[in-house]
Amino acid sequence: MNMYLHELKMLRKTTIIWTCAIIAIAALYLSMYSSIANDAAGFKVLLEGYPPQVRAMLGVSIDNITSPLGFYTMVITFVVLCGAIQAMNLGVSLLSKESRERTADFLLVKPVSRVAIVNAKLLAALTMLFATDVLYFAAVSILVRAVAQSGFSGEVFLMINLTLLFIQLIFFALGVFVSMFFNKIRSVLPISLGTVFAFYFLGALVVTDKNDGFRFISPFKYFDTSYIMKNSSYEAPYLIVGAIIVVVAIAASYVIYSRKDIHAVS
Amino acid sequence: MSIIEIKNLTKSYGNARGIVDVNLNVEQGEIFGFIGPNGAGKSTAIRTLLGLIYPTSGSAAIFGKSCIEHPEVRKELGYLPSEVFYYDGMRVMDLLKYSDSFYKKDCTNRIKELAEIMDLDLKKKIDDLSFGNKKKVGIVQGLLHEPKLIILDEPTSGLDPLMQQKFFELIALENKKGATVFFSSHILGEVQKMCSRVAFIKEGKIIKLEKMSTLQENSYKRIRIEAKSGITKETFNLGGVSDFEIKGDSANFIFKGNINSILKKIAEIDLRNISIEEPDLEEIFMHYYAKEG
Repeated sequence: MNMYLHELKMLRKTTIIWTCAIIAIAALYLSMYSSIANDAAGFKVLLEGYPPQVRAMLGVSIDNITSPLGFYTMVITFVVLCGAIQAMNLGVSLLSKESRERTADFLLVKPVSRVAIVNAKLLAALTMLFATDVLYFAAVSILVRAVAQSGFSGEVFLMINLTLLFIQLIFFALGVFVSMFFNKIRSVLPISLGTVFAFYFLGALVVTDKNDGFRFISPFKYFDTSYIMKNSSYEAPYLIVGAIIVVVAIAASYVIYSRKDIHAVS
Repeated sequence: MSIIEIKNLTKSYGNARGIVDVNLNVEQGEIFGFIGPNGAGKSTAIRTLLGLIYPTSGSAAIFGKSCIEHPEVRKELGYLPSEVFYYDGMRVMDLLKYSDSFYKKDCTNRIKELAEIMDLDLKKKIDDLSFGNKKKVGIVQGLLHEPKLIILDEPTSGLDPLMQQKFFELIALENKKGATVFFSSHILGEVQKMCSRVAFIKEGKIIKLEKMSTLQENSYKRIRIEAKSGITKETFNLGGVSDFEIKGDSANFIFKGNINSILKKIAEIDLRNISIEEPDLEEIFMHYYAKEG
């Protein structure tokens, strides 16, 4: 419990900053909604001029861009990108922190097992991710209702927002796993930014309409917002693969961390 | 039961050498010195003992149990690393309280007492502390739960002489109360003052294990003399002299043995100047242990 509380305290500041940042991004986008909705036809023509890859990257689907939820799917694309960076950052730094800031000689000689340390740290990080998403959801619910000119389904809205949490969990787990292979990570951001953007652009290149195996390459393509809007459900295979990635990465990290040599400061 | 028990411990890092077949026992109430030049494997041995790194073969146990399988044995362990680093943005007191929270006993009074002895300001932020002051935090942090085994890895680096003095007094006091101390250093003089037994480690192997009393009979001195008239090599042709060098009227050598015998020899010479120093460990190793090891 003491480790959990300590970790929470250490993560508090960055979590607040990330939460504010993604809420601000969403707010900025949503502020443009009313002018776009008023000139729906012109906007659609403009977007049709873009190549499909660019539209995919921007999260645009032309059919329903001017409905509140349709517009919001574009917003969530960017929010998810930021959320993924936040989660990956958190994951990469979580267990490498003791080596990076050279506090391993403090924490790891305490009478606690490595597993207990991982438990406390994972729990704290997950708490922070949940807190981010809950706060974001609360803020964005208010904002969307404020700008929406027509009604929309609250259930679908929640489902779209849950993709943020799912993708964050995937990238968080990947981050933890990746950090296991470094003895000392000097800087977290290049690793997490590089990985997240690589997957993001890879995902954009995969054409969304086709349901071939390529979509499995990028977690960003696991949750197709237009599918969610049409069917009010997620696509089971991708949900399952996402869950498997999370479970396997975290389980492997437990095993590796428990057997890892913690080297002296150099 | 030995407090520390290291059996046939080998740790290799790929092709690089760590430590090879190390055997050691430290008994209850001892102050045990562990000495060797930098890079000899002292930290590797200690980190295996603490459960921070995994042995390639052999075993390391404290209080009869391995730290790796039984992390709870570290409850009675206090460790002071050679360099201390703590979390950013924490105050000294917060860190010490956090450390305390792992041991399930309230050590607030003990923290205050230790901080007073070490002259440490508990309200300061750790980031703002100098290297020496951070080290003091490390000392308090390592001793606050009154551990029964204290492991020190080059503890005096960064401490000024006055603090070193206080630190050694503190360790001696803990030892008197029953704590066993395992003390690694590369400064022989430091170890000589405190320890009852000493193990020498070189290139990953223990090359000698000696009682302090034996070591003290054989003190090592680097002696430089400058005479008014010429010195010959024959004058110092006695056991224990090595690395002998003459340059004009001055001579330079390391002496091992009873210092009275060498001083009598020196007294026969008409001197202009003399200096007698502690040789550093590298020199001792080079001229004595190199052959034996």
